[in-house]
Amino acid sequence: MAEGDSRRALPWPFRRLLRLAVRPPAPEQDVDEEMRFHLELSVERLVKSGMTPEAARQEALRRFGDVANYRDTCVELSRRREQEVGRARRWGALVQDVRYGVRGLLRTPGFTLVAVLTLALGIGANTAIFGVVRGVLLRELPYPAPERLVQLWQRAPETPRGVFSFPDFEDWRTQSKSLESAGAYFYAEGRTGVDLLGDGEPQRLSAAYVSDGFFQTLGSAPLLGRPFQAQDHVPGQADVVVLSHGLWQRRFGGAQDVVGRSVTLEGKPHTVLGVMPRGFDFPSPATEVWLPVAWLTQDSVPWQQRGSRWLMGVGRLKPGVTVDSARAELEGVSRALEAEHPASNARFVGATVVPLHEAMVGEVKTSLLVLLGAVAFILLIACANLANLLLARGTVRAQELAVRTALGASPGRLMRQLLTESLLLAVAGGLLGLVVAVLGAEGLVQLAAGRLPRASEVRLDGAVLAFTLGLSAATGVLFGLLPALRASSPSLQPLLKGASPGQGAGGGRRLRGGLVVVEVALAVVLASGAGLAARSLSHLLSTDMGFDPQGVSVVHFSIGSAHDNERTAYYQRVLEAVRALPGVESVGAAKTLPGQSDVEMIRLAVPGKPDELMRVNIQHISRDYFRTLHIPVKAGRDFTDDDREGKQSRFVVVVNEAFVRRYGLEGDPVEQTLTLGGDPVTIVGVVGDTRQAGPSEPVEPMLYVHVLQNSRSSVNLMVRGRGDPMRVAADVQKAVWSVDPNQTINRVTTLEQVMREGVARPRLLAVLMGLFAALGLLLGAVGIYGVLAYTVSQRRREIGVRLALGATPGDVLRMVMGGGLRLVGAGVALGLAGALALARLMESVLYGVRAHDPLTFACVVAGLLAVAVLASWLPARRATRVPPAVTLRAE
Amino acid sequence: MGDTSLELLQGTLDVLVLKAVSWGPQHGYGVAELIRMHSGEALKVDEGALYPALHRLERRGWLEAEWGVSENNRRAKFYRLTGEGRAQLRAGTQHWLAYSDAVTRVLRSA
Repeated sequence: MAEGDSRRALPWPFRRLLRLAVRPPAPEQDVDEEMRFHLELSVERLVKSGMTPEAARQEALRRFGDVANYRDTCVELSRRREQEVGRARRWGALVQDVRYGVRGLLRTPGFTLVAVLTLALGIGANTAIFGVVRGVLLRELPYPAPERLVQLWQRAPETPRGVFSFPDFEDWRTQSKSLESAGAYFYAEGRTGVDLLGDGEPQRLSAAYVSDGFFQTLGSAPLLGRPFQAQDHVPGQADVVVLSHGLWQRRFGGAQDVVGRSVTLEGKPHTVLGVMPRGFDFPSPATEVWLPVAWLTQDSVPWQQRGSRWLMGVGRLKPGVTVDSARAELEGVSRALEAEHPASNARFVGATVVPLHEAMVGEVKTSLLVLLGAVAFILLIACANLANLLLARGTVRAQELAVRTALGASPGRLMRQLLTESLLLAVAGGLLGLVVAVLGAEGLVQLAAGRLPRASEVRLDGAVLAFTLGLSAATGVLFGLLPALRASSPSLQPLLKGASPGQGAGGGRRLRGGLVVVEVALAVVLASGAGLAARSLSHLLSTDMGFDPQGVSVVHFSIGSAHDNERTAYYQRVLEAVRALPGVESVGAAKTLPGQSDVEMIRLAVPGKPDELMRVNIQHISRDYFRTLHIPVKAGRDFTDDDREGKQSRFVVVVNEAFVRRYGLEGDPVEQTLTLGGDPVTIVGVVGDTRQAGPSEPVEPMLYVHVLQNSRSSVNLMVRGRGDPMRVAADVQKAVWSVDPNQTINRVTTLEQVMREGVARPRLLAVLMGLFAALGLLLGAVGIYGVLAYTVSQRRREIGVRLALGATPGDVLRMVMGGGLRLVGAGVALGLAGALALARLMESVLYGVRAHDPLTFACVVAGLLAVAVLASWLPARRATRVPPAVTLRAE
Repeated sequence: MGDTSLELLQGTLDVLVLKAVSWGPQHGYGVAELIRMHSGEALKVDEGALYPALHRLERRGWLEAEWGVSENNRRAKFYRLTGEGRAQLRAGTQHWLAYSDAVTRVLRSA
C-alpha cells in the first residue's frame, strides 16, 4: 500500500514510463544467461574431475551440442510464450471488465432495460433510414457510367422543366456537341398505359413511349432480343414492344422464346422485340412496357409540329463534359432554334440539365434527409439521456469507484471499465437495433411501395451493417465518455473520507443541466418538424378535390376478348344490373380513377386556334359519373344513354371549367365544336373543376368522353349507395357476375381508400415524423425528470432546513420547478432557432402550410412546456414531502 | 558413453525432463545430470537439447520457471512441475511403458 501510494503520487503518464523502465529483460538475455550458467557449471565440474580448463571447456561444449541452434529455438519459444501470456492477460482483463460490467448492469435491470431499449430504437431507426438513404440516394444508378447521364428539359421563364416537342429534341440531339447520345420519352406516373388482352386476364400496363436513342443512351442492353432500332420509330411500323423483366416473369412465366411472339395491346397485335434485364426501371419502377414514340402518333398526328411539347429527354454527356458546359452549349442550340422558328420557340430559349440521379430522387431526397436528420436527433437525445443517467449512476457509484482506486485501480483502468459498460449497452442496443432496422426498412419500403424511386435497391447489406456497428460504437463512446471522464477523475478521493457524494458536484449539475437543455432543444426541432408534416397532411386531406369520395365503392375490371365485339352492349348490361341493385343511388363508370388521370397526346383544335398536338387529360366515363361523384354540372348537361351510339350519332364531350379557361373558349362553350384527333366533337356540358391528379396537384383542364362511344377494355364502376361502401362493392361484384359469371374482377375498394393511397407519401412523412417526435418528447421528459429527481435527492438536506426554517411547501415547489423550467426554457429557445432552420429545409415537402407556421410552433412550445411541467412537478412534489425533523436529526 | 550409448527417441526427452523435475525444482544442468545418472550413463543426450525441451514444456504450462540462486551461489533459472505437468508425466510414463513393453514382447517372441 505504501509503495502504491508513492507511485500514485505521480501523474499516470509518468507511471507508465516507470513501468517501461522496469520491464523484464528480453528473452535473448534470459536464454543466454541460462545457457552460460550451464556451461560454466559444466566446465567447473570437469576441472574438478581433473581436466585442464581448456580441455574442460572443449568437453563441455561438445556435450552441449549445437549452441547457436538451441539458443535460437529457446529464444523463439520464449518469445512466443511471452506473447501468449500477454494476450491472455489482456484478454483476461477484457473478460474481467466485461463480466464486471455485465454484473453491474444486471444489478440495475431497470436502468439497463431503459438504456438498451432507447439505444435499440435510436440505432435501429437510424440504420433503417440509412439503409433507405443508401439504396435510394447514395447508390449509383444501375447503368454504365451513370455519372454521365443527365435529364434534359427545355426551359421557359415560367417552366424551368419544360417538355420538348419532337422536332426540338431532334435538333438538340443532332446539333449538340456535349451529348454523346440522347433519347426522348413520354411517360406520366400512373397515367400512361396500354391494355393488354389475350391469354390470361386483361391487364392495364404502365407504358413508356420512347424515341430512337433511348436505350442506347442509358447503355443497358436487353436481356433477350433487341432494343428499338431506327426502323421501329417510323409511324405505322411501330407495333413493337419491349417488356420489363417483371412483366416477362409475371405474365410470360420467363419464357425464353417470348421474343418474336405477338401480344395484343389496345386490341392490336404487337411483336415482342426484347426483354430488359432486372433492375432496368427507367423512367419508373412501375414501367412494364416500352413502346416507340411513333406508336402514339400513328394516326397521322402532326407530331412533327414544333409547338407541340410533350417529351422528356435523357442524355449521356461525352466523357469529360461537365453539366454546366453542356447546359451552356444547349442554351446556345435553343437560341439558334428561336432564331430559326420564332413563332414556336420564342419562349423556350433555355436549357435545364440535371444529373439523372438527382432528377430521379430529387423529389424524395428532402423527405429522406429530413427523416435521416430526425432519427439522428433521436439518437442524440438518447445519448444525452444515457449520459445523464450514467452521470447520475456514476455519482451514486462514486464510493465504489473510490474504493477501487484506493485498491490500486488506475484512473485509466476505471475509465476503461466505465467505457466497457457503455459499450456493452451500445452493443446490446445495436444488436436489438438491427432487428428494429430490418423490420423498419422493410416496413418503410412497403409503406412507400411505388412511391419511392429505386426502392428495389434498398437492402441491409454489409455497408449498412458496418454503419450500425460504427454507430453503436460511436454511441457507446459518445454517451459513455463524459461520465467516464468525470467518474474516473481523482477529485473523488475526498469521498473516501466520508464526504457525501453531492458535495463538490456543482460541475456535474451544470453538465447535466446542459444535457437537458440540448435534449429539449432537439425535441423541439423534432416536434416542429412533425407538426409541420402533420399540418401539411391535414391540409392535403382537407383540400377540396372538386368531388366527394365519401361513400363511393369502386369495382375495377377489364373485359377479355370474349366481349371484344360487343363491349358497349356488355357495359350497358353491367351498368343496368348494378343500377337495379337495391340501395344503389347512382352508378358511373370511368376508365381511370382520380389520381390516375389519363394524359393522352391528342390533336386538338378549338375554334379560332390552330390544330395542335397536346397533352390532354382525358377521362372516359359513362352517364351519372358526375352525379355519383357529386361533381356539379355548371352548364349544359351530363351524358345520356342516347349519346352512346358512337360515331353514328354526333360525338359529344363534356369539359371542365379549367378547360374553358385554358383554351379560351369564347361565349357559351356548350354546343361549340372542337376537333379531336381529326373528328368534330360537340361540347354538351361544362362541369366543375376537380383535382384529378391528386390533392397536391393543380386543377387541370379535363376532357370527358363517353366511354360507350369510345369503349375501353378496362373500367372502374363507381357506385354511390346506402350503407358500408365495401358491402355495396361486394353486391356490385355479384351484379357483374350475374351478367357474365366468368368476368374477372381486378380490384374492389372504396374511393376514399384510393384517395388515401394518393397521399401515402406525405402521410408516411407525417407518421414517421410524429413517431420520432413522440419518442423525442418521451426521452426529453425522462431526461428532465431524471435530472430534477436527482437534484432533489441531492438537496434533501437543504430543503429540509428550508422547511424547518419556515419555507412553505409552495416555496419549495416553486424553487424546484423553477430550476427545471429554466432548463426547459433555454432548451425551447435554442430549439426554436433550430426548428426555423429545419423548416426551411422542409419547405419543399410541405403543402398548404408555410414553413414558419406560427400555429405549429405555438403548439409545439405549449406541448413541450406541458410535458416539462409534468416532468418537473413529480420530483418537486416529492421535495415538499421531505420531513424536516428527520433531516435535521440526520445532521 | 561413446558408441554404446543409445540415441534418444523423439518425444522421450520430454518425459525424462518431466520426471527429472518431478523430484524437485531443478535448473537445466541439474536436469541433465539427473538423466545421465539415472540412466546409468546409457542415454546419450546433447545437453543443449534439454533447453528447447524445457522452454517447450514451460510454454505448454507443464513447467514453471523462476530465477533463483544455485548451490554455488549463482543466478540460475529453476524449473518446477505444475499440476498439469504432473498429470502429463503420469500419462507420458504410462504411454512409454506400454510402448516399450509391446516392442519388447515382439522382439522376444520366438
